[in-house]
Amino acid sequence: MSYHNVEILFVEDSQDDAALTIRALKKSGFTNKLHHVIDGAEALDFIYCKGAYADRSHKEFPKLILLDLKMPKVSGLQVLEKIKSDPVFKSIPVVMLTSSNEGPDIEKCFELGANSYIVKPVDSDNFFNAVKEIGLYWIILSQQPH
Amino acid sequence: MKKNDSDELIIANREIAFQNEEKEDRAAELAIANKELIFQNAEKENRAAELVIANKELAFQNEEKEKRAAELVIANKELIFQNEEKENRAAELVIANKELAFQNKEKEKRAEELIKANKELKNAEDDIRKLNDELEQKVIQRTAQLESVNKELESFSYSVSHDLRAPIRAINGYTRILTEDYAENLDPEGLKILHSIIRNSKKMGELIDDLLAFSKLGRKQVSFSEIEMPYLVNTVREELLFEDQENIPEFEIGELPNAKGDKSLIKQVWINLISNAVKYSKYKVKTKIEIGAYKKDQFIVFYVKDAGAGFDMQYYDKLFGVFQRLHSQEEFEGTGIGLAIVQKIVQRHNGTVWAESVVNEGSCFYFSLPAINY
Repeated sequence: MSYHNVEILFVEDSQDDAALTIRALKKSGFTNKLHHVIDGAEALDFIYCKGAYADRSHKEFPKLILLDLKMPKVSGLQVLEKIKSDPVFKSIPVVMLTSSNEGPDIEKCFELGANSYIVKPVDSDNFFNAVKEIGLYWIILSQQPH
Repeated sequence: MKKNDSDELIIANREIAFQNEEKEDRAAELAIANKELIFQNAEKENRAAELVIANKELAFQNEEKEKRAAELVIANKELIFQNEEKENRAAELVIANKELAFQNKEKEKRAEELIKANKELKNAEDDIRKLNDELEQKVIQRTAQLESVNKELESFSYSVSHDLRAPIRAINGYTRILTEDYAENLDPEGLKILHSIIRNSKKMGELIDDLLAFSKLGRKQVSFSEIEMPYLVNTVREELLFEDQENIPEFEIGELPNAKGDKSLIKQVWINLISNAVKYSKYKVKTKIEIGAYKKDQFIVFYVKDAGAGFDMQYYDKLFGVFQRLHSQEEFEGTGIGLAIVQKIVQRHNGTVWAESVVNEGSCFYFSLPAINY
């Protein structure tokens, strides 16, 4: 998959959640501009054009980052903190995806500047609708500063 | 003869003269002696007088002495009496002394006993202090253990919700993909099975969420404040969703006094009880749900009464159990957590929850909350 002109950076370590999310976004018409990375470290490489993404253009910003919370190596919280404390990237909307509303994560995420916090529904109907609405809202409806 | 005679006479004269002289001498001497005697007599008289005086004096002195002697006798008697008294007293004192000595010994004994008892008390006190210290230590240990168990439980429920939900979401999602994208490769029976998988995995998600909600209740801090009960109940009533819009039960809401409690938790109680009443009334037409309250001691008892399916009081002890159900899933949907949550919330408010029911006639659920003035 090409990583140029990416609109949605999707950070998700679970293959299954990734497959289901991508399918839902595809059915809603968003996949052609989606790039999936499998952990926080790769996400940071992508954003900062490092490692495998060294030749990516610094001028291209994703319109939306879908960020899973619980990931190996660099967690979603660490990625969030890094992006939101960087004046260059902090205006990119970050939607946190998580498996549950348990734990102290919600408060922490909003403290760090997350734009939204979504608990992935177990039921596929609800899951599909949730993903579709995230795409609709943040890619189509929401206006961002350039 | 005559001369002789004269001689003799002369001689006799002389003799007589001599004798006279002698007699005169003697007389002179006598005179002197007389004088002497007189003098001596005078002296003697003087002496006698003196003696008389001395005698008188002696007599006086004697009298005095006798007086004194008498006085002394009296004084002696007095002394004797006093001595006797003193001896009596001394005897009494001896007895008293003995008594005191005895008492002293007793006191010493007592003192020893007291010292012993004191030592025993001190030992007991030391023991108690030691036990207290040990208890304190145990409490600290137990608290630490409980805290770590609590943390474990928290991370356990975090894991449960996080890690159990993910595979169920995958099962549900992939099965759905099968029904959507591969439907033409399956016969109706195969499709039906896939829908069963979807339904069951969805149900499992709900069970996990319910279980988590229930376990969270035990950890949640209950913050007491005055709850405006009519407002709260009306809000719950308005937020209710009805399966069958054609058959909405009539609500009869009586006077609801305010009570003390945690607003969000008590709202959950009303949601669960009222939605249960609606759910179990769904096969009845033009049915009524009554909501009311009455005072009992320092509590206010609230109730929700329906004329729905009811339940068999024989199984009452299962009514508030976690995941316990008295109706089949086909008849009435549910996970069986609602009433367990109601009971837990009410108990955390120091209240009680109970119910009465007759099969096919309806149920009435009661819960009590502390009244405002208490």
